[in-house]
Amino acid sequence: MSPIRIVSTLGFFFVLFVVQESAVSLIHFPISGFSLYLAIAISLIAFEDHNGAIVTGFLAGLVLDLSPTSNAPFGQWALILTSIGFLFAVNRDSISDLASSPITFVIFVAVGVSLSLIAYLVFGALLGEENGSLRHDATVLLGNLLWTVIFTPMFLPALGRVREYSLTARER
Amino acid sequence: MARGGGNRSRLLLVILLVTALFFITLDLRGVSLTKGSRSVTQTILSPVQRTVSTIFSPVGRFFGDIKNFGKTNAELNQELALNKLLKGELAMAGDTKGQLTQLKAVLDLAGRGNYKVVAARVIARGSASSFSQTITIDAGSASGIHPDMTVISQNGLVGLVKSTTGSSAIVLLMSDPSFKVGVRIARSQSIGVLSGLGSTEYSLVLLDPAGTIKAGDTLLTNGSEGNKPFVPGVPVGAVVGVDNSADSLTQTATVNSYANLNDLGVVAVVLSAPTSAPRTPILPSPNPRVTVYVTPAPLLIPGATPTTSPTPTSIPTPTVTPKK
Repeated sequence: MSPIRIVSTLGFFFVLFVVQESAVSLIHFPISGFSLYLAIAISLIAFEDHNGAIVTGFLAGLVLDLSPTSNAPFGQWALILTSIGFLFAVNRDSISDLASSPITFVIFVAVGVSLSLIAYLVFGALLGEENGSLRHDATVLLGNLLWTVIFTPMFLPALGRVREYSLTARER
Repeated sequence: MARGGGNRSRLLLVILLVTALFFITLDLRGVSLTKGSRSVTQTILSPVQRTVSTIFSPVGRFFGDIKNFGKTNAELNQELALNKLLKGELAMAGDTKGQLTQLKAVLDLAGRGNYKVVAARVIARGSASSFSQTITIDAGSASGIHPDMTVISQNGLVGLVKSTTGSSAIVLLMSDPSFKVGVRIARSQSIGVLSGLGSTEYSLVLLDPAGTIKAGDTLLTNGSEGNKPFVPGVPVGAVVGVDNSADSLTQTATVNSYANLNDLGVVAVVLSAPTSAPRTPILPSPNPRVTVYVTPAPLLIPGATPTTSPTPTSIPTPTVTPKK
């Protein structure tokens, strides 16, 4: 991943973070909220190659750690999304690509979002954070999974085109 | 990775994981760099959130409005009919109106809270990517708001101020799992601890082993030393279910809050509470309605100094509901 792409990816994630915190979080979704940020971050991780997935995960986590509403220590999301990036890198061949198997791709993204949230809960519990009742946590996970499955196919084609445009000639 | 990553990928993974762990360690040790970065982010975010909130708020309730459209319409028609009936009754019985005015004056006097408050608009809600429950308001340290101040809505307790910037503040909602508040049962004056569960229900644990809880009991904040984080006498909620299990030393109960945390538009931050008695409102039974009078100036003029409202800030008023 070139330094220019690292900077542009970081900028993109920050804009996305502002949209999530300012607009998406204002919508009262039935069941539970939807994290557009996580859905797009996991989609981008899924688009990337081995090293790219790990670095993208780290950058996405670093920006998410800036969230002023978060109770978690700074770096928790970076750790989790770097690990998710590694998992996606290991399973790169299973994910395939968006054009050839879009449904598999969406399922991987939705599972990735859920895994991130579960890892966040588990890591938070290890650090002594209060996570609320099991029922509430399950509702949040279910809601996020549902909304990710519904909304991800809507933005994936556009996200794919934006990513293609951002690649350097060598990376293509 | 196993197939094509090689040593370089593994090295990259280890470096990034160690970096993340380094940040976590710094944060847990209380290094101000990491905390400062979140404060800077909030300073950048709050003007955007304020603008987006103004444009976006009608869209925010889109799903709820669709779900409740038919129900709301029917309820509206029913309420209109009831209003007509009530207006007719009131017009005929001038005596009743006079009694109502007197009753209101008595309750006003009894329930005088005299809180010094700053009103603020809710401009954002907590992110869906974390499990914490917060709101962001458009008034901050420039309006006299500091961390650990009580936040109330028209119906009662909402939460407490978690952090502030010059023009905004983050409020930890009482539904957050980490939220705990000392409460007092209005009927028996027994004290207990109310905890958020992450949902619309709350858990109450009584501290007094001999104390009893009854369904319908009204809970008020017990107050903290120096009125931080909680001022005394703010209505919190009502007991809806009591757990009478024999294996616990004290009684526990399920509580519903008076404030609807899903529908917060304007809240008030309590800057100070009166130091002389009576400090707490006497609540009418069975179900109190609290009216909060606030000065709207901080909403419109950034940096304006807060003022004490000339009228009581926490006044229980009776509700008149005709029998169906």
